[in-house]
Amino acid sequence: MTTGIKIAEVGDVDDGEGIRIDKAATGTEDDIALFSAAGRYYALNDTCTHEKASLADGWVEDGAVECPLHVGKFCLRTGEVLSMPANESTVAHRVEVQGEDIILYPGETPSEETE
Amino acid sequence: MTTNDSPQSVVIVGGGVAGISAARELRRLGYDGDLTIVDAGAAPYDRPPLSKDYLLGTKTMPDIHLAPAKWFADQNVTLVTTTRVERIEPDAGQVLLSDASVLHADAIILATGGTPRPLPVPGGDLPAVHVLRSAEDADRLRAALTPGTRLLVIGAGLIGAETASTALHLGASVTLVDPMSVPLLPAVGPEVAAFLHAQHPERGITTIHGSVTGIAQESQTSPLVATLATGDTIEADLVLAGIGITADTALAEAAGLDIDNGVIVDYSQRTSHPRVFAAGDSSRRRGPDGVLSRRAEHWDAAEGTGRAAAAGVLGREPVTEISSWFWTDRHGIHVEGVGDMSPSGTTVLRGTLGDGPATVFRLDGDRVVGAVSIDDSNAIRAARRMIDGRISVTAEDLSNPEHNLRSLLRSTASKG
Ligand SMILES: Cc1cc2nc3c(=O)[nH]c(=O)nc-3n(C[C@H](O)[C@H](O)[C@H](O)COP(=O)(O)OP(=O)(O)OC[C@H]3O[C@@H](n4cnc5c(N)ncnc54)[C@H](O)[C@@H]3O)c2cc1C
Ligand code: FES
Repeated sequence: MTTGIKIAEVGDVDDGEGIRIDKAATGTEDDIALFSAAGRYYALNDTCTHEKASLADGWVEDGAVECPLHVGKFCLRTGEVLSMPANESTVAHRVEVQGEDIILYPGETPSEETE
Repeated sequence: MTTNDSPQSVVIVGGGVAGISAARELRRLGYDGDLTIVDAGAAPYDRPPLSKDYLLGTKTMPDIHLAPAKWFADQNVTLVTTTRVERIEPDAGQVLLSDASVLHADAIILATGGTPRPLPVPGGDLPAVHVLRSAEDADRLRAALTPGTRLLVIGAGLIGAETASTALHLGASVTLVDPMSVPLLPAVGPEVAAFLHAQHPERGITTIHGSVTGIAQESQTSPLVATLATGDTIEADLVLAGIGITADTALAEAAGLDIDNGVIVDYSQRTSHPRVFAAGDSSRRRGPDGVLSRRAEHWDAAEGTGRAAAAGVLGREPVTEISSWFWTDRHGIHVEGVGDMSPSGTTVLRGTLGDGPATVFRLDGDRVVGAVSIDDSNAIRAARRMIDGRISVTAEDLSNPEHNLRSLLRSTASKG
């Protein structure tokens, strides 16, 4: 099990929105897009697998994020690619709320119960 | 088969976005019969980058493949490349290929796209007059575009403007000529059309309002001389004609299907023959009222009609209609449009054109009917949902960049 990294605090991300957290702060291979949707938090690699857009700027709806450039869609929980023109899934990371802190577990697959 | 049985074999003609999207959707919907895609070219690739990163050289063929090779194997999709479909026999359920083989097909999806319209003037067929539709076209153009090349782009629509912008980046000296003083008016409305067109001279492109009536070249090594209707001439090393496409309807026509500047289809993308469906740039919808829609020539429409054709083949409910959407990139900005910007009505500006993200909304009463944005995708995502959900809005809701459009949508949705 990897150690968690605090990447944000509750309230930093509005519901239905995403924020980008620099890889310098997370130590991950890519920046992290942290989303809040329907009371849960989700973390994905931020760079769209199609071109270079930041998924944190995407449109969050129905458990998925739509890329801001060409509407490629990814599942928030699993990172699975759901629509073209993207054709590769992205990486989802486990996040946990501990008190007021949002903790990222880089590389850990989120469970069904991701907060 | 009778047309009511579920098909056991489907052949898709054309591996563009419409064909690939149809194949993906067939498998997603659980179709597990034979599935073959035939394309005249090599492995299926995406076209939008051809005038952008691919032409620039920052993307190569593997980067623009529509699906990785593994996908075809995983999904059990047979891909037949560099082979043309010569003829379809819908009654017999046969697809005849250029290598003389014959495929059986319970259902056929025509996703043949379009062909660039040749320049209809004397000299329009000279070798230095290029078009841009395929990767080969892009490779040829790229090879000819060395720094200092004088490029004359005829047609300042989406592809002409994008190519002009990319060529400028490659060091070419670019002249852009169009018979409209402000091109793209119906697509983006007057405000954004004027803004976009004014960008060209600001970046160093010479824009000319006029029509080219002929192109001459003394010898193969001498420059091209294009003559305008005014009698003025322009010297150039190469020409790109971006004057639109014609739908590839030859197979449908030979099979006796209804066509009219596109293969005519209903809302399940079914043609006039029950076994044959059509999608993408080559298809054109006829509504239940008999009225033909304008044929779409955008990526998203091709993707959506591909999915709809898959649903049609399997006898599923048609895919929910959503408003049309497109994007275009030039001079470092990302433009998106949704819905219809052509009707009259009021317009509302959010932000300032030319200064960061900005969007123009077109309203009919309290309903959004269209929107175009510069570097402001989420405004278009919101507008699309406002149009499709027929949500009442006020000009004030839209114009204030401080108002979050997603929150606005959510609050109207929760009001029910
Ligand atoms: C340079 C360029 C830039 C673009 N940029 C944008 C953009 O920024 N935004 C946007 O929204 N849209 C853009 N588009 C439009 C978009 O790419 C098209 O709408 C889309 O490609 C249409 O997809 P399609 O599958 O219908 O047709 P196509 O992509 O044309 O695919 C049709 C395929 O069918 C094959 N075919 C045809 N006849 C036969 C036959 N008899 N046998 C075998 N194969 C056959 C062809 O080889 C071709 O591969 C652009 C288009 C171009 C050319
Ligand atoms: S960059 Fe994300 S879909 Fe194209």
